[in-house]
Amino acid sequence: MEPECCWSKETVTPEECPYIFPDETDLYASLERRLPAMCLECPRFQGDLERLGEGGRPEAAVIRILAGEYLRQKSRADTMVGFLDSREIEIQFIHEIGALLQSSLMELDEVLSVALTAITAGKGFGMNRAFLLLVNKERSHMKGYLGVGPRNYQEAWEIWEEIGRSDFSLREMAKQFHETKLSAEKNKFHDILERLSVPLSDQGSILNRALRERRPILVGGDLNENAIDLELARILEVDTFLILPLLARNRRVGVILADNFITRKPITPHDIRAMESLTFPVAFAIERASLYERLHEDLRQLTVANTRLHEQQELIIRMEKLALLGRVTSSIAHSIRNPLMIIGGFARSLLKDIAEDDPKKESLETIVLEARLLEDALTEALESAESTTPKMDKCNINELLGYVFHEVTSGHGRDGISFVLDTAPELPMIRMDYRQMAYCLKKILLNSLDAMSPPGELAVRTILRPDGILVEITDTVSRPARKDGETSPVPGMGGAGDIYDLELSFCRVILENYCKSFTVDGYDGKGTRYEILLPLKKEDEGDEQDSGR
Amino acid sequence: MSRILVVDDESSIRLLYSHELADEGYEVFTAAGAEEAVEILRKDDFDLILLDIKLKNESGLDLLQRIVKERHNLPVILCTAFSCYKDDFSAWLADGYVVKSSDLRELKEEIRRVLDKKSPRNVLKRTM
Repeated sequence: MEPECCWSKETVTPEECPYIFPDETDLYASLERRLPAMCLECPRFQGDLERLGEGGRPEAAVIRILAGEYLRQKSRADTMVGFLDSREIEIQFIHEIGALLQSSLMELDEVLSVALTAITAGKGFGMNRAFLLLVNKERSHMKGYLGVGPRNYQEAWEIWEEIGRSDFSLREMAKQFHETKLSAEKNKFHDILERLSVPLSDQGSILNRALRERRPILVGGDLNENAIDLELARILEVDTFLILPLLARNRRVGVILADNFITRKPITPHDIRAMESLTFPVAFAIERASLYERLHEDLRQLTVANTRLHEQQELIIRMEKLALLGRVTSSIAHSIRNPLMIIGGFARSLLKDIAEDDPKKESLETIVLEARLLEDALTEALESAESTTPKMDKCNINELLGYVFHEVTSGHGRDGISFVLDTAPELPMIRMDYRQMAYCLKKILLNSLDAMSPPGELAVRTILRPDGILVEITDTVSRPARKDGETSPVPGMGGAGDIYDLELSFCRVILENYCKSFTVDGYDGKGTRYEILLPLKKEDEGDEQDSGR
Repeated sequence: MSRILVVDDESSIRLLYSHELADEGYEVFTAAGAEEAVEILRKDDFDLILLDIKLKNESGLDLLQRIVKERHNLPVILCTAFSCYKDDFSAWLADGYVVKSSDLRELKEEIRRVLDKKSPRNVLKRTM
C-alpha cells in the first residue's frame, strides 16, 4: 500500500504537507519532530492507519491507541504549561507589588495608589473598581478613603483604551495615578466613600467579619441573605463584590472592596486567592506609611517646639542683658545722683544768701541750672532703664502715634517745618508695651525735630504689610557723615557699640528687643528714614494678660 | 520747734539737709546708719524722720519696719535716688516718699504736709 500521508518520508515538501505553518519550516526536514507534531493529527495519516487496518495489519490498531493517548497527554501538558505560565505571571506581579511597596518609605497615598492600581489594572488583577476603607486615628470607625475605577461604561471605555495605548509597568501606572489622578478619583467617588463608614464595634458588619475571620469574603447572589450586604450592595450598585481584609499582624488597618461594576464578570476563587496574597504587603505598607506620617508629624512638632525653645532661650538672654543693662544704668545713675544733688543743693543754699551784685552769683546760678538739667537727664535714663522689660498690652498703633505726634509737634511748632501723619486705616491691634513704644517714638521724633532746619518735613506713616505693621518715620535732617564702622547715620542708633546718645541707644535696644525689625538709613540724600516693623498679634496668643489699652 | 532726724550714709547730704532744714526753722539731728539712728531714737523724741533707703550695708526699708513696729506715731519720709521703690510694698509704710533732688522744695513741702497733718500711716498709699 502506498501511504497517502508523507509520514514515511524523512524529508517532505510544502506541497506534500500543507499543514505545516511558515514558522515551522524545520519540520520539513525532520520526521522525528514532524511525526508527533503534525502527522498524529493529520487526516491523511488517519486514513493511512485505517487502510492498514483494513489490509490486515494488526499494528494499525496499536498505533491508533498510542497516538490517541499521546495526544491526550500532550493536551494535558499544554494545559498545565498554560496554568503554570499564568501562575508565574501572577507571582511575578505580586513580587513586583511587594518589591515596590517595600522599596522605599512611601507616603500613604503612594501606597494606596500602588495597591488599587494593582487590583484594577488589566495587567494586574483586572477588577473594574476598588474601594479602600481605612481605620481612623481614633480607632473607632472604618471609613471610605479612596475609590478607583470608572463610574460608567463611557469612562471605562476611555480608561481601558488609554491603558491599552500605553505600555506602562505597574510602577509607572501607580506613579502616574498618584501624580495626576488621585485627588480627582477621591472626588469622583466622594458620594460613595462618604457612605462607606462602619463602627469597628459593629459585630454584625460583614466588613468587620472579614477582619475578624482574617479572610476574604465574596458577597454576591442572594442579597436578602444579609441586610448589611444589601446596604453595601446598594451603595456600590453591584450584586457581587469582594471584601479583602487588611491586617498588619493583629492590627486592623482597613478593607478593600473590589467589584466588576462594568463587565459584571464573576469573581472566581482563583481571583480571590490571588488578591488575598496582595493584602499582606499592602496592609504592612499602609501601616508603615501611617507610622511614617505620624513620625513625620511628631518630628515637625518637635522641630516647632525646638524652635520655640530656642526663641525663648534667646528672649531670656536678651531679657537678662536688658535687666543687666537696667541694673548697671540704675547703679550709675544712683552714684551720680547723690553727688549731683549735693553740688546743686549747696549751690542753691549759697545762692539764697548771696548779694544781688555778687560776682559769684552768676556762677552759682549756672551750677544750679546745670545740676538741674543733669538731674532731669538722669531721671529719664532711670525711668527708661526700669522700663526695659516690656509689659505687653493690646494697643492701637495709630492712636499711639497720633498721641505722640501731637505731643511732639504741638510743643515744638517751628516755621518752615511741615508735619505729616499718614496712618493706614483699620489696622489690627498689636501687642506692645505702650509706654516703651511711646517713649521710643517720642525720642526719635524729638531727635529729628531738634536737628531739623527749615524748610523741612517730619513725616510718620503706618503701612499694613503681610508680615506686620510698618511704622516709617522720615525727616529731612542733613546729617554729617559718620566715622568708619558707625553703621547708622544717627548717633546712638548704630548698634551695640554706638552709645553716643544714651537715650537713643535705649530706644534702639528696646525696639530691637520686640520689633520684627528696626532699621535706620539715609534716603536719597535727603534725610533719615526709620523703619519699625511691628509683629501682628498671632491668632493663637491668649489675651489673658492683655489689659486692652 | 519740730525735731527732725535725718538718716543718710552720705555726710554731705546730712550736712545739706541740716543747713536747709534749720533755715526752715526745724531742729535737725543726723545719723549715718540704722544702728546709730536706733540709738538716737531710744534717747530722744522726734517729730519726723527723713530716711534714705540705700544705706551702707543696710536697708532703710528694714529700719522703717523697726520704727513702725516700735514707734507707731513717728512719721517717716523716705528720701531716695530711686523712684522705683514707690512700687515696693515695704515703702508704703512710710508717710511720704521723695526722690532726691538738688531742689529741696519738694522735700520741704512734703515735710510740712506730714507734720501739719500728723496723719495716721498709709498716707502714701492714698497719694501715690
